Amino acid sequence: MTERSVHRRHLIGTALALAALVPAQALAHHSFAMFDREHPTPVTGVVKDFQWTNPHVWIQVMVPDAKGTPQEWGVECTSVNFLRREGWDKDSLKPGDKIKLLIFPLKDGSHGGQLNKVVELNGSTSALPGYQ
Amino acid sequence: MRLLGLATLAACLAAALATGAAAAPALTSRYADPAQPDISGVWQVTGWFSFRSDKTLPKLKPPYDGIYATRMKAFDAGKPIDDVTAACLPPGMPHIQVVPYPFEIIQTPGQVTMLFEYAGQVRRIYLNGGQPKDPDPSYYGTSVGHWEGDTLVVTTTNIRGDTQDDFSGLPHSDALTIRERIRRSAPDTLEDSITLDDPKAYAEPFTSVRTYKLHPTWTIGEYVCEENNRNQIQANGVTGFGVPQASK
Repeated sequence: MTERSVHRRHLIGTALALAALVPAQALAHHSFAMFDREHPTPVTGVVKDFQWTNPHVWIQVMVPDAKGTPQEWGVECTSVNFLRREGWDKDSLKPGDKIKLLIFPLKDGSHGGQLNKVVELNGSTSALPGYQ
Repeated sequence: MRLLGLATLAACLAAALATGAAAAPALTSRYADPAQPDISGVWQVTGWFSFRSDKTLPKLKPPYDGIYATRMKAFDAGKPIDDVTAACLPPGMPHIQVVPYPFEIIQTPGQVTMLFEYAGQVRRIYLNGGQPKDPDPSYYGTSVGHWEGDTLVVTTTNIRGDTQDDFSGLPHSDALTIRERIRRSAPDTLEDSITLDDPKAYAEPFTSVRTYKLHPTWTIGEYVCEENNRNQIQANGVTGFGVPQASK
């Protein structure tokens, strides 16, 4: 499967996930307007920090840029309680984990976005309970 | 006679204890006032989290129409001008009733209490008919209610004018009165018909009927907004993100 078709498969999956989206999976506390929710984008890298905190859980990921230099990305998730109800806990991610995420990127092009879902964790596609 | 009285009392006590043991409510029960219809439990709103789930708006009067237009323009540009919630201040009424977080209803004599997971907020609805004396406008205002059959009818006044109706930025004024009709429309469904009567900001009263799903197995978790708020409002009024700086 080519990278393009892999990407496409994720986009289709995301479209299905979005169709089923309910507020339970939503970010709140502040507006969505900073995120481009029309274009879910894959981000692959190594977890630097997992902030199991309110009002939002954050995943800091080191992602290689075009030159291969690692850049730190900030990925904002929903709240601790929502993730806990989905089966996550404070040890779900740890520094050094290899991770592939689908995010709604920041519209201004900064290194960050809102978590859509964890696609792959340390080579496993089922390591984390579903979260869209 | 006295002996008989004591014996009767003892029998009654024994019966009460036996009945009490048999009918002891589960520890998770939040219903402690049989005089009220039971709407207790953990509920979560369904639908989208604008004030009306279909995102329709009231007829806004100046200057509130302009305020909302400015917010919409900023949102469309990806630079949201959020309300006080981004700074971890409370959403207030009616916003708290449409945030996508669960809340717990506890019923005790003379009072319905709503404990919201979102920012650990509390709403108290007084059923004793007396308007508590609180002259200062507040985030949740003063809520006074009474039961009409299976419907809890609530009027809320004394609400601050600097909060919003929802995350879309819908404004209201300090003249807002909120009328609610809350009932259990199905065993697992709570319905709240929320009418905003705000003669300063809206041309006519505006009603949203929201439903909430019962989640009997959920508990309300802690949510301290100040713990790690990386979405602080910046000097220009735009909500921040706390994005890391690119390394050199």
